[in-house]
Amino acid sequence: MTESSDSKELRPGLWQTVNDRYPGSMISNTDLVPLALLSKPLSQSRICFVSTSGVQPKNTLPFDTVHPVGDYSFRRVPSDSRPDDLEIHQLKYPTFGAKEDLNVIFPIQRLQELVTEGVIGGLTKNFYAFIGYNMDPERLRDTLAKDLAAAIAQEKPDAVIAAPA
Amino acid sequence: MDVTQHAKPPRAMFLPFMMGHLFGVPHHNQLQRQILLTLLDRITAAQQSGDIFFFDYTWAQARKEAKQLAK
Repeated sequence: MTESSDSKELRPGLWQTVNDRYPGSMISNTDLVPLALLSKPLSQSRICFVSTSGVQPKNTLPFDTVHPVGDYSFRRVPSDSRPDDLEIHQLKYPTFGAKEDLNVIFPIQRLQELVTEGVIGGLTKNFYAFIGYNMDPERLRDTLAKDLAAAIAQEKPDAVIAAPA
Repeated sequence: MDVTQHAKPPRAMFLPFMMGHLFGVPHHNQLQRQILLTLLDRITAAQQSGDIFFFDYTWAQARKEAKQLAK
C-alpha cells in the first residue's frame, strides 16, 4: 500500500489479515451498545482519555512488551502531566513521531489547551493507557476492560475518548 | 476501518493515518487540535449507535504539512 493508492485507508482489510494469521485474536461484536447522550454541554463536561499507546509516567513499572500473549494491566497517567514526564513502552507501532512530539499519539497538551480555552469543562484527574498487543480477546474483556472501566467510572467522566495506537 | 466495524463502538472517527500517528504529525498543533475538535463534535453529532465518521484528510497531506513546519 502506498500513498498513491486509490484506497482511502492505508491498510484496508486489516481485521481479516490479522485474524487469518492469529485466529481468534481479533475482536468482533455482534451487537451495538445504546448511544449514551451527554447530559451537559461540552464546555461543562469532564473528559477522560484512554489509549492503547503504552504511554506511562516515567518511573512506573514498564509494560511487558515481550510477553507472548500481552500485558493485561493499565497505567494511570495524570492529566496535568507534561510530555517530559511520560515515556512509551510499546513495540508494535512506529513511535518515531511520538518521540518527537508525544501529542501525535497522546494529545495531552492539546486537551489541556482546550480546557484552558473553555472548549471542554475539564479533564479527569487521570488518563489511562495500556498496550494494544493482547492476543486473547476474552481475557482482555474479562480482566483489563473490566478493571479499566471500573477505574474510569470512579473518575466520573462525562465522556471518554478511546484512542488506538 | 474494518477493525472498527467489527468492534462496533457507539461512536467512532476513522483517521487514514499511519499507525502511531492517530493525531497527526509532530508539532502540527493545528491539525492535532482539529482532530480533537472534530471527534468532540461527534459526541453530540452522532445520531445513532455505530456511527463511524471518516476524517477527510490524507496522510500524504499531513506529512507534506509536517515538512513545511520543519523548515
